[in-house]
Amino acid sequence: MKAKSANELRKLSAQCRKNILRMIRANGSGHLGPAYSCIDIVTALYFYGMNVDPKDPEKADRDIFLLSAGHKGMAQYAALAEAGFFDKSILDTFGQFRSRIPGHPDMHKIPGIEANTGSLGHGLNLACGVALGKRQDGLNSRVFVIMGDGELAEGSNWEAAAIAAHYKLDNLVVFVDHNGLQISGLTKDVMSFEPVADHFAGFGWATTEINGNDEEEIMNLLDRLPLCKGKPSLIVANTVKGTGFSKTAGKAGCHYWAPCAEDMALAEHELDECLAGLEK
Amino acid sequence: MKYEMMDAKKIIGEVILSEADQNPNVVVVSTDSAPRTGMGGFIEKYPGRYYEVGIMEQAAVGVSAGLATTGKIPVFCAPAPFVTARPFEMFKIDVGYMHQNVKAIGRNCGFNYSDLGPTHYGLEDIALVRLIPDVAVLAPADASQLRGALRAMVRYDGPVYLRISTAPIPKLFDEADFEIGKGIVVREGKDVAIIVTGEVCKNVLEAADQLEKSGVSAKVVVLPTIVPLDEEIIRKAASETGKIVTVEEHYVVGGLYSAVSEVCARTAPVSVKAVGVPHMYLSAGPYADLMHYCGLDPEGIAQSVSAFIRQ
Repeated sequence: MKAKSANELRKLSAQCRKNILRMIRANGSGHLGPAYSCIDIVTALYFYGMNVDPKDPEKADRDIFLLSAGHKGMAQYAALAEAGFFDKSILDTFGQFRSRIPGHPDMHKIPGIEANTGSLGHGLNLACGVALGKRQDGLNSRVFVIMGDGELAEGSNWEAAAIAAHYKLDNLVVFVDHNGLQISGLTKDVMSFEPVADHFAGFGWATTEINGNDEEEIMNLLDRLPLCKGKPSLIVANTVKGTGFSKTAGKAGCHYWAPCAEDMALAEHELDECLAGLEK
Repeated sequence: MKYEMMDAKKIIGEVILSEADQNPNVVVVSTDSAPRTGMGGFIEKYPGRYYEVGIMEQAAVGVSAGLATTGKIPVFCAPAPFVTARPFEMFKIDVGYMHQNVKAIGRNCGFNYSDLGPTHYGLEDIALVRLIPDVAVLAPADASQLRGALRAMVRYDGPVYLRISTAPIPKLFDEADFEIGKGIVVREGKDVAIIVTGEVCKNVLEAADQLEKSGVSAKVVVLPTIVPLDEEIIRKAASETGKIVTVEEHYVVGGLYSAVSEVCARTAPVSVKAVGVPHMYLSAGPYADLMHYCGLDPEGIAQSVSAFIRQ
C-alpha cells in the first residue's frame, strides 16, 4: 500500500479529504479545519512513512501513531479507512451513539487507534512512554505524533519535551500542525509559543520546518529521519487550516464546521475536480 | 495489643523486586520518588527498567500509560496527592479510560506527612480514584496485607491504585493470599459492625477490645479493597447488626463511608456512622494529635461507636 510518488500521495490525501466529508455528511458537522490541516501528513505517514499493516494492526514491531490533538480524529479515521484498517461504511456512523469512530479516538473501538486522545496535552507523554518501551525491547519501532500549535499551551507537553530529550528518544518524531489558528483567533495572539522550533531546540530536540500540506516536502522529510541521531525530532509543519476547500482555507471559523447542503456539495465537487486534475 | 512494627517502604521494595525477578515486564517510573520508596534494590539490579522523570507527575502517569502500551507493567510510586490529585486527568484518561496496565502507589497517605499540613495530606485519594471507572483501589491494613496486595496488584490485569502510609506499619495478621475485591471479618460481634480500611485498622481492633470491656460486641470487617467493593460482606454485616460504623484515615466525603453508604442505601438500609477526617483543611501537627482530633485513635473510635449504638 506504500505510495511511490508525491502525486500518488496527493491523490490519496484528496481521497482522505473525501472520507472526512463523508463523516461530516453523516453527522452534519465536525472538526473539518483541523482535520484538513493535517491530513496530508497523516496520509503520508500511513501510505509512505510508517511501518504498519492493516491486516496485522497490533504487530509488535509496528510504528505507532498518536494523534495528540484528538479533535483531528477524522483525519486519522479517513486514512485508516483508506488503508483498509476498517470498512469505509463505518465512516457513515460518525456521530452516532456507540459509533466505533467517536469524535475523539478510542483505542478500544477500532483497529489502528493507539490512544484515547482529545483532551489536549496527553499525547506527547504517552509517546515518550511508548518510545522508551520500544527501545527497552530492542525494537526499531518509531513513534509519530501530531500535535496542534494551540495545544502547545498545555504545560504537560513541556514535561514531555524534557523527558524526550533527556532520554535521547530519536525514535520519537513529532509534527506540530502549525496552522496558526485556534478557536479564538490567531495562535500567536491567544498565547504565543513562537518560534516553536526554538522552544523545542532549547530542550535538546533536533528541529526543522516544512510545508505540511506539500506531499513532496513531507516525503523528503520522512526519508531523512531521525533528524539527528540521539535526539527526538520536532517538525514545525506549516499548514493552512481548512485547506482543500476554497471556503474554509485559512479561516478560524472552520475549526468546527457545520455546512449547509450547498457548501457540502461544493466541497465535494472541488475534491472531485482536484482528483480529476491529479489523474491527468 | 502487641504487634510487630515493620517498614512499609522496605516491603514495597522487596515485593516489587521479587515480582520483577519473575516478570521482565515490570518497570518502575519515578518522580524523584522511587529511591525513597524502597526501590533501591530494583534500581541497582534493573537500571534499564527504571525510568526517572523528575518531579513531573503528569508526565509520570502519561509515560507509564505509554510504557503499558508496549506490554510493560509500570509501577509508579510517590506521595498520594502527587499520584492522584496532581495528575488526575492523566490518571482518568491515560490509565482509566485507556485501561492501561499501570500500577500506582500513593504512599504517605492520610496524615503521614503530619508536620507539613494540607499540601501533603492524602485525604481525598480514595475519593478521586474511585471516581475513575475500572481502576482497582487497594488500602491494605497491615504489613501482611501490604505484601499480598502488592503481589496481587502487579499480577492483576488492569489499572490499580494502592494507598499506604510509609511510617512503620503494624503486622496484625498472618500472611495470606490477597484476593482483590474481598473483605475479611476479623472479629465477630452482634451489636454493631465496624468497617475499616487501611492502617487505622489497628486502632479499630483496640477500640473493639475497649468496647467489649464495656459490654459492646463489635464485629470488625476489614476492607483492603475499596474498588471493586465486597458488597456481600457489607450487606451481611448490615443485616446481622443493623448498625454500621466506617473508619478511615481519609475525608468522610467520597471514601469508605461513601462507598459503604451507597451499598447500604441501595440494598441494605441501616444507619451508617462515619469516623474519619472532617471535610476541612486541618492544621499541621503531631500525627497523634491529628488522629485524636478526628476521633481516629482507639478511644475516639470506641466513643463514637458507643454513642452511635445508644442513639
